[in-house]
Amino acid sequence: MSPRGFPFVAGSLALALSACAGNGMGLDANGNPITAGGGSTGPLTADFKSIQDNVFTPICTKCHIGAGAPEGLQLDQTHSYAMLVGVPSAEQPNVLRVAAGDPDSSYIVLKLQGSAGISGARMPFGGPYLPQSTIDVIRQWISAGAANSTSATNAATAKAAQRFTVTASSPDPDSIATTVPNIVVAFSSDVDPNLLNATMVSLEKLDASNMDSTEPMPMSPMPMSPVPAGAASRSVAITLAVPHGDGTALLITPRTLLSSGTYRLTIRGNFADMNAQALGADYVLKFTVEAP
Amino acid sequence: MTRLLRFLWVPVFFSALCAHAEPYLAVQMGLKCGQCHVNPTGGGERTAFGNIFAQTQLAATRLDTGSDVWTGQVMKFLSIGGDVRFDATYSQVPHASSTDDFEVQQGRVYASANVIPERFYVYVDEQVAPGGALNREAYGVYWSANHDWYIKAGQMYLPFGFRLQDQSAFVQQISGINMTTPDQGLEFGFEHGNWDAQVAASNGTAGGPETDHGKQYSAQLQYVMSRWRFGVAGNFNDASAGSKSASGLFAGLRTGPISWLGEVDVVDDRSTPTLSGRQLATLLEANWRIAQGHNLKLTDEYLDPNRSVANDAETRYSLVYEMTPIQYVQIRAGFRWSDGIPQDPAEHLKTGFVELHGFF
Repeated sequence: MSPRGFPFVAGSLALALSACAGNGMGLDANGNPITAGGGSTGPLTADFKSIQDNVFTPICTKCHIGAGAPEGLQLDQTHSYAMLVGVPSAEQPNVLRVAAGDPDSSYIVLKLQGSAGISGARMPFGGPYLPQSTIDVIRQWISAGAANSTSATNAATAKAAQRFTVTASSPDPDSIATTVPNIVVAFSSDVDPNLLNATMVSLEKLDASNMDSTEPMPMSPMPMSPVPAGAASRSVAITLAVPHGDGTALLITPRTLLSSGTYRLTIRGNFADMNAQALGADYVLKFTVEAP
Repeated sequence: MTRLLRFLWVPVFFSALCAHAEPYLAVQMGLKCGQCHVNPTGGGERTAFGNIFAQTQLAATRLDTGSDVWTGQVMKFLSIGGDVRFDATYSQVPHASSTDDFEVQQGRVYASANVIPERFYVYVDEQVAPGGALNREAYGVYWSANHDWYIKAGQMYLPFGFRLQDQSAFVQQISGINMTTPDQGLEFGFEHGNWDAQVAASNGTAGGPETDHGKQYSAQLQYVMSRWRFGVAGNFNDASAGSKSASGLFAGLRTGPISWLGEVDVVDDRSTPTLSGRQLATLLEANWRIAQGHNLKLTDEYLDPNRSVANDAETRYSLVYEMTPIQYVQIRAGFRWSDGIPQDPAEHLKTGFVELHGFF
C-alpha cells in the first residue's frame, strides 16, 4: 500500500460514516409523514391498492415517477393504474403492460419475472428482485380482471350506500321494436370495463321459428339462464363497449342486424362497477323485434 | 513488439495516459471522456485510443498478440465494440429470504460507421442482453472541421453530470438521466481547450412515446485540467403534468494514486403530486490505483428523497475491488450496503457481487 493511500482512504471512510440515514420517526413505510388515519399499508393482497402500497410506491417509484420516468411509465398512485392496464408497453408495443385476465401476456409480469423475450433488464432494475410470492399476488390480481380497487377505496365512503343496479335500458323491457341496431343499458355507477367479455354479457334469440337465420350457433360453454320451457335459444354475436364519456352505460352492438324474433340479454350477477360492487343477481332484458 | 503496436503506444505514453469507460479513469488521466469514447460525452464504443489504453495501461499484464492489435476498426469505415457483464450476486433484505443468482447483467454491442472520416459518423448502441434486443442509442454526429463543435441528432443519453457505470447510484436515480433512459432529440456540443459543453433538447419521455408539446432541455459545462475538473449541469423537463428541474455540480480531483469524484444533484419534480418537495442526492467516490490493473473503489452516497420531510434520508456505501488481469478482461468484486428508515426493508439492502466484465 502506498503511504499516501492511507490518509485518503481514512478520510473517505470518515466522511462516508458521517452521513446518516433517517431514523424514520413520524413516517410511514413509504417515507411519507404519517397523517391522521394513515400510516399503515396493510399486508400484500391481490387488489390494486394493496399492490400499489406495498410494491409500486415503495419500490418502483424510486425511478418510475414524474416527468422523464423510464419508458414514460409513472407508477405513483396517481398515474399507475391508467398507465398499466390495457396500455401497450413502450419496449414492446404489441404487448400490453397489464392484459386484464391474462398475467402470462402482461409485460409487467414478464419484466418482474425476467422472462425470456423481454427487452431490457429485469425489474426492479439492479435488484433485489421481487420474491415469487409477491409476483404471484400481482398475477392473481391480473387474473381476476385487474380491477382498480384504489378508486374503490377513495370513493368507498360515498359509494357505500349506493348499490350497483341497472337504472334504464333501451329498448325497454318487454318492448317491441322494428329495428334494434344496438342495446344500451345504464347503471347506477361506472362499470368496470375490464369485465366486458362474453362470460359476463350474452344475447340470445329465443324465437324457435327463426332457426334458419344466418346468425352463428352458440359457442360459449358457459351456463346460461334458465330458458323457458319449449323455447329454443341460440347465442347472438355481440360487441361490448363503454361509450366514450359515459362510464355508467354499456353499449351492446349485435354483429349482424337482428332479425324478427324475441331476444334475451343477460348480464351476470357478478358484473361489477369500478368500486367492485357486483349486481348480485343476473339482470335479464327481454325484447321483441318485429318486421316493419 | 511490432512496429504497429509501438506506433499505437506512442500517443498513450506521450499524452500522460488517457481515459476509459468510467469517469474515474478520465479524472485519473486528466482527459475528457471523448478521448477514449466515440461518444464525446462518454460511454459506449471505445476509440482506437481507448482500445490501446485498455491493452497497455488498464491491464496488469498484456498478453502478446503479435501484430494483431485490436483497435475496434473492422473495416475502413466501420468500427465496433461491446461490453458483457456477468454477475453472481447475493442480496439480503430484512424480513425476507436472501437470494443469490447468476445473471447476465448487461450485453451491449456498439457500431459506428465513419461515413465522412473525421466529420460525420452514424452510431448505434444496442443492448442484446438480458432479454431481447433493445436499442439504446442511434444517432448521427457531424463535427466541425477543427473538431471544436458538433451536432448530434437521434436517440441518445443526455448530458448531466458524471456518466457512472453504476446506473442505480442515487445521483443517477433522482435525475432520471442515466444509461438506461435515452431520449430522442438534438445535442450541440462545444469543445475548446479545457472547456467542454453540451446543450440538448429532447422529448423528455425517457424512451417512452411523446405525449405532449413540452420538451426537455439539458445543459452541461465542464472545465478539465490534468489534476482536477469541475462542472455544472442543468436539466428542465417541461411535461404537461408539470415540470421537473434538476441541477448539479460535479468535480474530480487526482491526489497521488487516489482519484476522487464528487457530485451533488438537486431535483424539483412538480410533475406528480406524490413528490411535494425537493430531492437531494450526493456522491463521493475514491478510487485508489493500488497498482496497474488493480483499483479499489469506495463510494459514499446520500439521498434525501424529500427536503421538506425530516428523518427520511437514505445512505449507501460501496466497496468494490476491480482487477484487470489481462487486456479486455476485468473482474470486479464488491459489497454494497444501504441504510434508510427502519420501516422500509428495501432501504436496508445488502448486496455482495462478483462480476466478470469482458469488453472490446
